[in-house]
Amino acid sequence: MAQEQGEFIDRQGSIALFSYTSVENIKAENNQVASIVDLSNNQIAVRMLMRAFVFEKALMEEHFNESYIESDLYPQAIFQGTIIGLDLSITEPQTRKIQGVFTLRGIEKELDFKATISKEKNRFTISGKLELTVADFNIKIPPLLAPNIADTITINFSFEYEPYEN
Amino acid sequence: MKTKLFFILLLAIGCAPQAVAQDLLSKLSQEQITPEFNTQATFKATRISIGHSVETRKRGVLEISAMNRFWNDPDKSKRSFLADKLNTRIGVEYGVSDRLTIGVGYGTGYRSWDVFAKYRLFFQRDSGKKFPFSITLFQNGVHRNKETFLFLPNQSFEDELAFSTQLLIARKITSNFSLQVAPSYIYRAEDGFLESESTSRFAIGFGGRYKIGKHVSVVSEYYYVPNPFSFVKTYGAFSVGANWEIADVMLQFKLTNARNFVEDKFIVKTANNFNFKDGNLHFGFHATYVIHFFKRKIRNEQ
Repeated sequence: MAQEQGEFIDRQGSIALFSYTSVENIKAENNQVASIVDLSNNQIAVRMLMRAFVFEKALMEEHFNESYIESDLYPQAIFQGTIIGLDLSITEPQTRKIQGVFTLRGIEKELDFKATISKEKNRFTISGKLELTVADFNIKIPPLLAPNIADTITINFSFEYEPYEN
Repeated sequence: MKTKLFFILLLAIGCAPQAVAQDLLSKLSQEQITPEFNTQATFKATRISIGHSVETRKRGVLEISAMNRFWNDPDKSKRSFLADKLNTRIGVEYGVSDRLTIGVGYGTGYRSWDVFAKYRLFFQRDSGKKFPFSITLFQNGVHRNKETFLFLPNQSFEDELAFSTQLLIARKITSNFSLQVAPSYIYRAEDGFLESESTSRFAIGFGGRYKIGKHVSVVSEYYYVPNPFSFVKTYGAFSVGANWEIADVMLQFKLTNARNFVEDKFIVKTANNFNFKDGNLHFGFHATYVIHFFKRKIRNEQ
């Protein structure tokens, strides 16, 4: 890798969220998530705008922003953490633990999850899956709608980093 | 001195990872492409309370609505259980695109068929290319089958038509509070049968909503007609109510003096004032159900 110590960026990473219940499935995707990785210390930062989530059903998108996430008040979610033991001299895909703090609706939550990192020429990808508990972020679901929304939301993430040039 | 240095050093070490992460985040906010978002949900339904709101349905969304008004007959001898009189309109609306919604409805009161189209001219935008208002053009046409005393025996189809044109202008002032102003033009063919009356009227509608919870809002509307129908005394249509949204269902409850659903009729021909007397007070209940025929593709699903 040419710039193994430098910073790498993805301006259009993807984060998808899924809520599966017997009543209904909720699916959404944000393809404008920005992330940066600093290989000198294996730090990673992620920033997403809540309004950029596109829902399968248009009305759900409105409810997500208006009634649950309150994107007027909390327009973005961020994650900052460390990729533990990342070694890009390995050419095979490697599974590494990522530890850090996720901030949503002004609430900080420690996260610890696995991710697969694959290197291709002077780029690399990070992808994986994690679960978030709705109750951790002070999101109130009316009792009438409790069967429609899962307690834990599955998050799929996929980023493709390229060297960051200022 | 040595201990002081030691503490400074300790502090510096402690802060370092934080500082690096902050640095990465600030780089991100500079680098991230910020998409422009239209202001969402000025109102939660295509009707504020009795009249149309600036909102249109999204592409591929079908809305089915049942609208009811209940009221009592002022004549006490005609009293029946709960409400004496009922007027109903059943309608469907479909979002052809995010801007264009078309709809059709049937009303029991005058056996009327109404069709309408709503086109969103401008979206309010609070960031990026800013625009202060949402503006929607509304046009409907209605045919009423019930003969009224005004009609001549040989009335034609055209004589039973009425049209309303509205420019709906709204602003979501805060995330909870929205206001709408609706300059309106109304043409009613049947009014032309009276020599003293004109077929054309102008009106201006005012509407507002205030969210009192994440799923509940209070709404009110009033329509002012500067050149009212004079053959029969008429009053401005007024409504106050609550809207309750439960996922795909919207329930709208209201107290109003308007007993009709189609614009030309309730704006121009509301023949009773708003008060709590029998015959004047109408309880309104609208139920709206939404079905998504078009689903956006989610690529990142494993």
